[in-house]
Amino acid sequence: MEYILHIAFMLNIYIMLVLSTNVTVMANLLTLCQAAFYGIGAYIGTLFLMQFELPIIIIALCVMGLSGLCSIIITLASVKFKGDYFILATLGFQMVVYTILYNWIDVTNGPFGISGIPALKLLGIWELQGVYAYFAVSLIAVLLMVALFAGLKLSPYGRALRSLRSDEQSLQALGRDVSFLKGSAFFISAAFAGLAGMLYASYASYIDPTSFTLLESLFIVSALFIGGTGNIAGPILGALFVVILPELLRFIGMPESIAAPLRQIIYGLALVLVMYFRPQGLGGKEIIK
Amino acid sequence: MLLQFIINGLITGLLYSLLAIGFALVYNTTKVFHIAAAGIYVFAAYMFWWLSGYMPLCLAGGLSLLLSMGLNYSIDLLVYQPLKRKKASNNIALVSSIGVMTIIVNLLALFFGNEPKSVSSTFKGVYDVGLFSLSQPQLIQVGCCLVLIMGFIVFFLRSQTGLKIKAISEDELLYAGLGYNSRRIRAFAFLLGGFFIAVASCLNVVEVGMDVNMGMNVLITAIVAMIIGGTGKIEACVLGGLTLGLIQSLVLIHFSTSWQNAITFILLLAFLFIRPQGLAGYKQRTV
Repeated sequence: MEYILHIAFMLNIYIMLVLSTNVTVMANLLTLCQAAFYGIGAYIGTLFLMQFELPIIIIALCVMGLSGLCSIIITLASVKFKGDYFILATLGFQMVVYTILYNWIDVTNGPFGISGIPALKLLGIWELQGVYAYFAVSLIAVLLMVALFAGLKLSPYGRALRSLRSDEQSLQALGRDVSFLKGSAFFISAAFAGLAGMLYASYASYIDPTSFTLLESLFIVSALFIGGTGNIAGPILGALFVVILPELLRFIGMPESIAAPLRQIIYGLALVLVMYFRPQGLGGKEIIK
Repeated sequence: MLLQFIINGLITGLLYSLLAIGFALVYNTTKVFHIAAAGIYVFAAYMFWWLSGYMPLCLAGGLSLLLSMGLNYSIDLLVYQPLKRKKASNNIALVSSIGVMTIIVNLLALFFGNEPKSVSSTFKGVYDVGLFSLSQPQLIQVGCCLVLIMGFIVFFLRSQTGLKIKAISEDELLYAGLGYNSRRIRAFAFLLGGFFIAVASCLNVVEVGMDVNMGMNVLITAIVAMIIGGTGKIEACVLGGLTLGLIQSLVLIHFSTSWQNAITFILLLAFLFIRPQGLAGYKQRTV
């Protein structure tokens, strides 16, 4: 049971990451730096958990706010650069964040990572213990996120965001502030990725920079595009695919040295095939331009 | 001491230039953000390492070059061209390219294992030239790079094919409309691009060894070199590569190697904000 709950917890984390990436992809802004925000959230969350004894809600809000603030750099880049230059800038952001996490030994303890991260405290009193509690908290977070994004899609703001995909200039002509739209999309995206990072850090009680590499970013993007973009079912499907598949391979009883590259090959193959035969993804609605 | 850093930087810069040319050839002609080039880089290195166990080093290098060119071309044939026929957007090609890169790298990991490897070569000597010293692999790097880069620039600026590549980069539809075969140039760009990437890979791994995840880092550095040099001009990649190599090496005097990536990207951002057309590029108005 604990094993299943552990998988379910990781699934929730990935659903959060993939859904948060979808917010910007919905606006046709493909980013390759989600793992950077995931890492920023994890490290800021760790800092808060180790320094202050605060209820979970306040820590979560602080982490989300601070991770969101870090996205301002990406916003600046997105306003200034178009197309491939912007993607390259996000790649750059990812690399710089990783380098900082890896090298700023005084704060992040560099490649050795930080261990003994304290558990989250509900209302500042009850410590979350065991995988049950974490699963419950992550489930609540995911449900809140899904509700928020479902509402967001229907709201005027969500419509404006989606129309960024079709025609930025007309949107501008209609008097919408495109920079603000992009900035807020990145803020939301980064905030929720940061929240996922904080939950993960507190659950694992150990983090090091290798969980937040460029390959992780590419992995998240792969999951998103396999699952599908533009709606909520798609990203969830993608997260399910990438989290459940390794467990199935393990179930067959394949040794890890073969299973690890094999599942990556399956992801890659799935990505290429999905992009050709069904560019909106398995469960998605809209095709990225 | 300073001279040694400058020399080392310029030699690394030459390798970056080769890679940037390889990437730019594909990027300019097809507008595909060819991330799978990272896979080609790793593939070439692993083929070189694997084949060098059975045959002399030069032969192994040559075969690995041919295989990499073939692989690069087949990626175009199997992935990008079908997507293009479906009129898929560049972003979709980019995402597919991530998939292709994942497949290549992990197939290599599956067959050859994850642990770092090195090519055992007979080139071990170091020459001392008074003020600075050069190792034998470095000499070979300089020789190969200079010959190839010079050759390429002359070919690119003087030949019909070079002109056609430039024409396709400007407007492929118009090019095809004038009755030329754009698929032939496309194939040529992929073959030549694969060749340059593979040469840089083989030259580099003799000196520093390899592991399966090295590709992405190297590729991104090459793209940065391309942008610093100037987009739209393939020959400017050399300028960008040398600048990047030199700056990276000079920064090493004060910082450790692990900061190199950060430096590369701070340089990139500085360029994108201050001089987006690169050192030698045209000023372009983007819509």
